[in-house]
Amino acid sequence: MEGRARVVAWLGREILPHEAAVRAWLRRSFAAAGDVDDIIQETYCRLAALSNIDHIGEPRGYFFQAARSVALEQIRRARVVRIETVSEIEALDLALEDPSAERIVSGRRELERVRGLIAALPERCRRIFELRKIEGVPQREIARRLGVTEHVVENEAVRGLRAILAAMTEQEAPAGARGSREKADGRTRKRR
Amino acid sequence: MVERESAADIEADAARWVVRVDRDGHDPAVHAELTAWLAGDRRRVGAYARAEAGWLHLDRAQVLGAEPVVSTAVRGVPRRGLIAGLSALAAGVAAVLIAPRVLARRYGTALGEIRRVPMADGSLAAINTNSELEVAMRGNLRAVRLERGEAWFAVAKDASRPFVVESGPVRVRAVGTAFSVRKRDGGSDVLVTEGVVEVWTRDGKTPPRRVAAGQQVFADNSEGVRAPPKPDVDLNRQLAWRDGQIVLDGQTLAEAAVEFNRYNDRKIQIADPHLAGERFVGWFRTNDPEGFAQAVATTFNGKVSVRGDAIVLRGA
Repeated sequence: MEGRARVVAWLGREILPHEAAVRAWLRRSFAAAGDVDDIIQETYCRLAALSNIDHIGEPRGYFFQAARSVALEQIRRARVVRIETVSEIEALDLALEDPSAERIVSGRRELERVRGLIAALPERCRRIFELRKIEGVPQREIARRLGVTEHVVENEAVRGLRAILAAMTEQEAPAGARGSREKADGRTRKRR
Repeated sequence: MVERESAADIEADAARWVVRVDRDGHDPAVHAELTAWLAGDRRRVGAYARAEAGWLHLDRAQVLGAEPVVSTAVRGVPRRGLIAGLSALAAGVAAVLIAPRVLARRYGTALGEIRRVPMADGSLAAINTNSELEVAMRGNLRAVRLERGEAWFAVAKDASRPFVVESGPVRVRAVGTAFSVRKRDGGSDVLVTEGVVEVWTRDGKTPPRRVAAGQQVFADNSEGVRAPPKPDVDLNRQLAWRDGQIVLDGQTLAEAAVEFNRYNDRKIQIADPHLAGERFVGWFRTNDPEGFAQAVATTFNGKVSVRGDAIVLRGA
């Protein structure tokens, strides 16, 4: 469990901040590989399965590589591999251009950004996040203090978390996280 | 037919699970339910880890509670009460500052994939199918470790930083030249296309052997380089993979099948030993074993049948 907590913390610190870039690159290079959201989820699944992260000197590059290999597998599974398709993927090397300068500032910027993200939430949602995340108040106690049900706290927290994840990874906020509690109908693209 | 759950639905559910675990994580029933949900789809595992990571990441907001946190941390005079959080933060910042200097990079290729990779020193690597290597650019050494497969290197000249490829116990050293290394069971093949390299093994059984352009040598993992380099080898044919090609010039069909099978899931089997010994000339794409099988069948009046992932070739 200790190990998993470390990996999850690492995902938040070193991987999430690059998700927007990975998504943009996937959309450019892998239009044929299927849903970018699927590739991202599968990639996180692999990263979360890592038992040790100490050997990963460049998480950004590692993230790109992992996403790339997931996308490649999808292409292969579709049995349409042609060398031409594969060589397009070399665009990866462009996406990996030395990120050091950017990374040096990113540690600091990221912290400021987290705070900005919370501040940008709708009022009640923001209050709940501040209580939970800044003041460390448990959900039950938050419900008591604000005079709402635990269910409301849960819904607001889910909504806030989704909005923040979407903002961190620079996507359009999911429909369900924006206003009503309906479940993301706008973005649900069922496969035929 | 079962409809595939959309990524957006999974994402929404994952966020809900993270919040539930935050509230009731101590409850074994919640854990059991979560485990069951996760078991339903690999993408759920990924989405859950991602949402959990985002949730935890927000704890950093605690550190941000006090205004000029980062500049304080950098100057090294943290305010009391924040010390624990800040030292963790400072360690994070230091890691970010130092990490980019340690430039070990890993490159891998999947089955059938061929990549060209420009390196930081101006050298270029072409990596063949199903291979893996690690490149570390150090102040006085450019070190490449070939863990699996094959790669060709066009090395940028830099006399002060030799370029050394490690393939098991075998070592190949170049200053400014072009060569390929293929790691096999028991040893490595080295082909030189330009300039000169030196080849030896870690335990130094044989002295370093110079191999010049147009030559090929096999370095045995335990015996080292025993035979002198073979001159005038068909380098272009052997390195045709760099362009995604397999060139056959009188190889047996058995050898050709092994070559195609390096690149594809659809494996060629030659069911007839007589046919396997036939020699063949041709030019194919690495990812076109069907085209090869068809050409062989036509030439030798044989038959091709496909069974699952196997392409079976039979004689007349």
